[in-house]
Amino acid sequence: MGAISKARSQAADAGKFVADWLEHRAGIVTMMEHFLYEPVPKRGAWIYTLGSATLFLITLQFLTGILLLFYYVPSTDHAWNSIYYIMNEAYFGTLIRGIHYWSANFLLAVIGLHMAQVFFSGGYKAPRELNWVVGVVLLLLVVIIAFTGYALRWDQDGVWATVVGMKIGSYSPFVGAYTIQFLMGGDTIGPATVSRFFAIHVWLLPAALAPFIGIHLYLLRRHGVFGDEMEYRERLAKLQERQRLEEYEQYEDDGEPYVGRRDRADRD
Amino acid sequence: MAELQKDPMTRGDFLGFGILGTIVGALLTIPPAAFVLGPVIDVNVRGESDVPDDWYRVGPIGEIPAKEPKVYVVEFPVNQVYSEEQVIEEGVETPGATIDNAVWTSWREEIGENGEAIHRIPSFVESGVQPPLTQEQIDEVTANLNVLSSSCAHLGCPVRWIVKEDGGEFLCPCHGGIYDINGGYVGGPPPRGMYSFTFEVREDANIYVKHEFDIGGDKGPQQPYVI
Repeated sequence: MGAISKARSQAADAGKFVADWLEHRAGIVTMMEHFLYEPVPKRGAWIYTLGSATLFLITLQFLTGILLLFYYVPSTDHAWNSIYYIMNEAYFGTLIRGIHYWSANFLLAVIGLHMAQVFFSGGYKAPRELNWVVGVVLLLLVVIIAFTGYALRWDQDGVWATVVGMKIGSYSPFVGAYTIQFLMGGDTIGPATVSRFFAIHVWLLPAALAPFIGIHLYLLRRHGVFGDEMEYRERLAKLQERQRLEEYEQYEDDGEPYVGRRDRADRD
Repeated sequence: MAELQKDPMTRGDFLGFGILGTIVGALLTIPPAAFVLGPVIDVNVRGESDVPDDWYRVGPIGEIPAKEPKVYVVEFPVNQVYSEEQVIEEGVETPGATIDNAVWTSWREEIGENGEAIHRIPSFVESGVQPPLTQEQIDEVTANLNVLSSSCAHLGCPVRWIVKEDGGEFLCPCHGGIYDINGGYVGGPPPRGMYSFTFEVREDANIYVKHEFDIGGDKGPQQPYVI
């Protein structure tokens, strides 16, 4: 046996040891299996990546957003200047902010496609209604985050778009005036407005968004992707039954009593 | 049904938890709610404004042409957070923030019997204003002057004056609201005409405004939303 293949088998052993160690203490392998492997209907499989695309874009938002915070200053005097600095002086500033900006735009488009896919495939039906509701909450959160982010640029575009948006809010029955004063931090647009939009955009809503993403994914895993029961439930059951029998036969051949996979791992 | 409560709750427990829960709940929610809703309380309950209730100079009436509006920009000081009056006094040389409002001023235009436009520019203004003005002159100017907010009555975008062959009109760049030179509604989505500032003309032949709209009727002045 050559040195390379020996090193390879040693590495494999070490990897197995680490995986086993983690599995015993944190159940990580079982969890990964649970979270990673999802039967997806064969028909239109690519359509089922839209949810993951949304998650990916939101992750990008978090990452680039955190990076932008290293230079952004939420004040009327400095907001525009700090973004000018990001765009002109900071290394890769244009790239980081560009990703933040464009992935925000794509995010809304992809969410729309994701919703359309769930809607037209009937994925919102029982027992998945709650996940649709959670998804709508996520959509609203993302829309408000997108809206509040626009104001932070504090340029003409951002300010006037924000004015228009807040004016639309001011037409809400009963709470219109309160909503707008809450957002502006007073009765005129000014320093309090930037601070509030910053707090809402950077802390309040992302903090609200994260647990809802968790709930969304948990409910998805609990019920599976819509359509899998039509094509897959039966086939999967057959597959698992066959694997179980094969394993059983193998251990019978070894002359050891069959004790199941998990118990065996414990014993090793 | 899933059983969440294992031990049955007595009446006394219920009342005790209820009262304690109310007190603790209030202690936990009132401070953060008031902290965040401060501006809403200030404006709606205490009737305060972020712009001090003063008169602010717009500009001289002598510069307003007879048939076209003239725009002035007024800088209203804004008392918010780090731009609050006391903070500025206490702090170092932090300049106060301002909200710049464009004010469109024009002489009232009326349609005569034969359909011709009559511009109500006072004759003493046309021949060159000589301050100080007399009370009669001030009254005449006040009666014939439009002092309009540039903020569109629809969603608040700044309107601009578009010159046309037979005069012109105010056009909102956002959704195409159109107003005449008096700020009256002509077309588009706005629900009403342009807002007029509460204004006065003083002896020095200048216009002064407050940061509020004179919406007429018995409703009194209204704080401008947003701008």
